Parts: sequence; structure tokens; C-alpha cells
Amino acid sequence: MASLVPCPHCGSRPKEEFTVKGAALKRPSPEAGADAWFDYVYLRDNPRGGYEEYWHHTAGCRRWLIVDRDTATHQVTSCRDAASASAKEHGA
Amino acid sequence: MADIRSLPALADRRPLTSPQVTLSALPEGTVLQVIAGPKTPDLTRLAGEAGLVARAIAPGQWFLVGNRPTAHQDMRRLLAMLEPDASGIDQSHGRVRMLMEGPMAAAVLSKGTAVDLDPTVFPPGTTAATLVGHVSAHLTRLDNEAFEITVLRGFAAALWDDLALMCAEYL
Repeated sequence: MASLVPCPHCGSRPKEEFTVKGAALKRPSPEAGADAWFDYVYLRDNPRGGYEEYWHHTAGCRRWLIVDRDTATHQVTSCRDAASASAKEHGA
Repeated sequence: MADIRSLPALADRRPLTSPQVTLSALPEGTVLQVIAGPKTPDLTRLAGEAGLVARAIAPGQWFLVGNRPTAHQDMRRLLAMLEPDASGIDQSHGRVRMLMEGPMAAAVLSKGTAVDLDPTVFPPGTTAATLVGHVSAHLTRLDNEAFEITVLRGFAAALWDDLALMCAEYL
């Protein structure tokens, strides 16, 4: 797991200040059907490489962030505020 | 009749003093948490008029702090002035502030937090919400050698004892 997370508001902070929620996925439309929703709620990839996750900066700015990290090298390639991520990209 | 005056959270902690570092409790005056929308009012001006100082916490959030309690009427006026672009929540009862100062203050504090306290990165006037040990705290650098530490009231005594331990080598 990444040790230092570059929070866009607070700067570089240790992972102890954060809570990980899990994969940042595109939310299906309300009418997408049971299969699409089952996938969205329960099924996760476990990729080796880049993976986007929701992280909450619990002990800092208390903002939800989208952290793009490499699951093999622990390298964080990007970290942005979830509110600034486009609605098109990540659903509402 | 029973005495129901509130007791400061750190009433039984004596200030720690040495040439290297001092730790003391700040008066439990006013702590007003402000949450603003996209249009932020001029908080520096509003705080100044109320005899308070604004300290950033996070995007859209501030503490307005002062060493003196704010009278009910003045608080109501200030809360009304914040609306409609921002809202204030009185936290005077809920947060406790401490002052750590001296040439070794940054060295002591960096035992507990991962924030880079180098004066070039964290100059006077900057603030950070972070962990000190396992306790969430809010740091403000008042001066090169002075830090204000704001913490939830229930954690004040525990954090004080942690800080006292971190100071021990300089006392």
C-alpha cells in the first residue's frame, strides 16, 4: 500500500491519515438492470498495475480523493479531489 | 447551591517550561468553525471585527479563534453576518488550544506528526489538519518557533500527556 499520498489540499501525507473505501468505478444508470448493478456493487477486478480508488483524508482535510496507484509498485501516479473529477467520468 | 462552572480541560496540567521548549494551555475563549460555499465571505475582515483570527482547516472550512469568550449577542451577530454564503458552528466548548514554543518546538512536534515543519515549507501563518500520534489535531505556525495546537476537548488531556513526553528530553 502506498505510504505517502500526495493530497491535493494538504500535500504529502502518510497513509495512516487516510481511510480507503475501494475502487472508484463508474456508477451505472438507475435503469441499467440487475446484472450491471450486481457488478457495480459486488464484483471487483484485482489488477496488477494502475488502480483508481476512493481515499478519504480522515485525519486531514476530510475530503474524498481519487488516488491512482500501482498495486505492484505502490507508486501513486495521481491524486485528485473526487468533487473535481468530472461527473461523466465517475457518475454522480 | 452546587457550583456548576465549567472547568478548563487542562486545568490540572501545569505549563512545562524550559529554555528549549514550553508547552501551555491557551485560554478557552472562542472557537467558531465556519463552513463556506463557493462564494466565501471576507473572513479575515469578519473575524477581525469580532476580535478573532481566521485559521484555514480544509477547502471551504475555517476556525475563527480568539482568547476571549464571545458574548451571546456578538456571536449571534457574527453568525448572521456569515449567512447566506457561509455558516458558523460554535465549537468553543468542543476544542481546546495549546501553545508550544521555543527553539526545539518544531523538533518536538515532528516526533508526532508527518507534516513537514521546515520553515520554508510551513512558514508562519500556515495551518495543517493532521495526526499527532494517533490524535487528530490542527496545527498553526504562529511564529518560527511557536505553534498553536487545536484538538477535540476529549482528547486534550491525552494529547497534552503525549506532548509532555515528546518534550521530556528538553525539560
